[in-house]
Amino acid sequence: MNLEQLKRLKEKAQQQVALREGHKKYRVVVSMGTSGIAAGAREVMKTMLDEIEKRGLADVEVRVTGEIGLEDVEPVVRIERADGEQTTYAKLDPEKARRIVAEHLVKGTPVENLVVGKEKKP
Amino acid sequence: MLEELSLHILDIGMNSLAAGATVLSIEVLESARRNWLIIRVRDNGRGMDAATLRRVLEQRRSSTKSKRRKGIGLGLALLRQTAEMCGGRFHIRSAPGQGTTVVASMRLNHVDRPPLGNLDDTVLALCAANPDVEIRLRYRTDSTTFQFSSKEREHHEPRTTQTSQREGTAAGCVA
Repeated sequence: MNLEQLKRLKEKAQQQVALREGHKKYRVVVSMGTSGIAAGAREVMKTMLDEIEKRGLADVEVRVTGEIGLEDVEPVVRIERADGEQTTYAKLDPEKARRIVAEHLVKGTPVENLVVGKEKKP
Repeated sequence: MLEELSLHILDIGMNSLAAGATVLSIEVLESARRNWLIIRVRDNGRGMDAATLRRVLEQRRSSTKSKRRKGIGLGLALLRQTAEMCGGRFHIRSAPGQGTTVVASMRLNHVDRPPLGNLDDTVLALCAANPDVEIRLRYRTDSTTFQFSSKEREHHEPRTTQTSQREGTAAGCVA
């Protein structure tokens, strides 16, 4: 770790704050309980943050949650659309996370073969 | 066991955020001279009473049929096991309204000691988890100290200090 890396870390941390501002079309919720972390949730989250930043997706925010009861299929990510539609993805890795950003968040097309649940909340 | 100590730090940090902490301090001391690696995570969250403390340290997973108690994972028990296996100790201090401090030490050169791993990804994940919480990181080796706070603003002089340029001592800290 050196000064340059720390500066970048700080910039990224502040970008996280900026990402929260304004109305968002999508909210990405990463399951970050112990089982999620053990299965690789941190890398999945990092990949999604990097991809979202790289593609300049201003209408997406990323959040985390604790255990959500899907320990056996972690890492799990839920994508919530502003209109209430929720899509849950399971058994993710960085490569799959990139696909979800490219297809679901950019084009609006869920990656069907990775989806484990869908529901519509009012 | 989690593969990296930085993942344990993330796990503890998530507990702190769930406990409503507004300040989360992570300290890592890596001393080759004294052959210790010490991790301390301190928060100002709501803290735990004695019964809850006992429960989080039990490694036994509650019945798979009943829903696990929200927010309480296996993480602390796993870290305790790792610390004790690596010639160190594990300590947790907490009380309602007093926040929680978790300290884990291990022998730096112990063959079973997990790598520290990617500490800055852990800090980033915690910042993303709740940007309103101040995440502080202090990383020390025998010759170097790094400090970071997610709430530092641009007009402040960076508090980051680098007392020596000895490269390599922090290897494994950054991807």
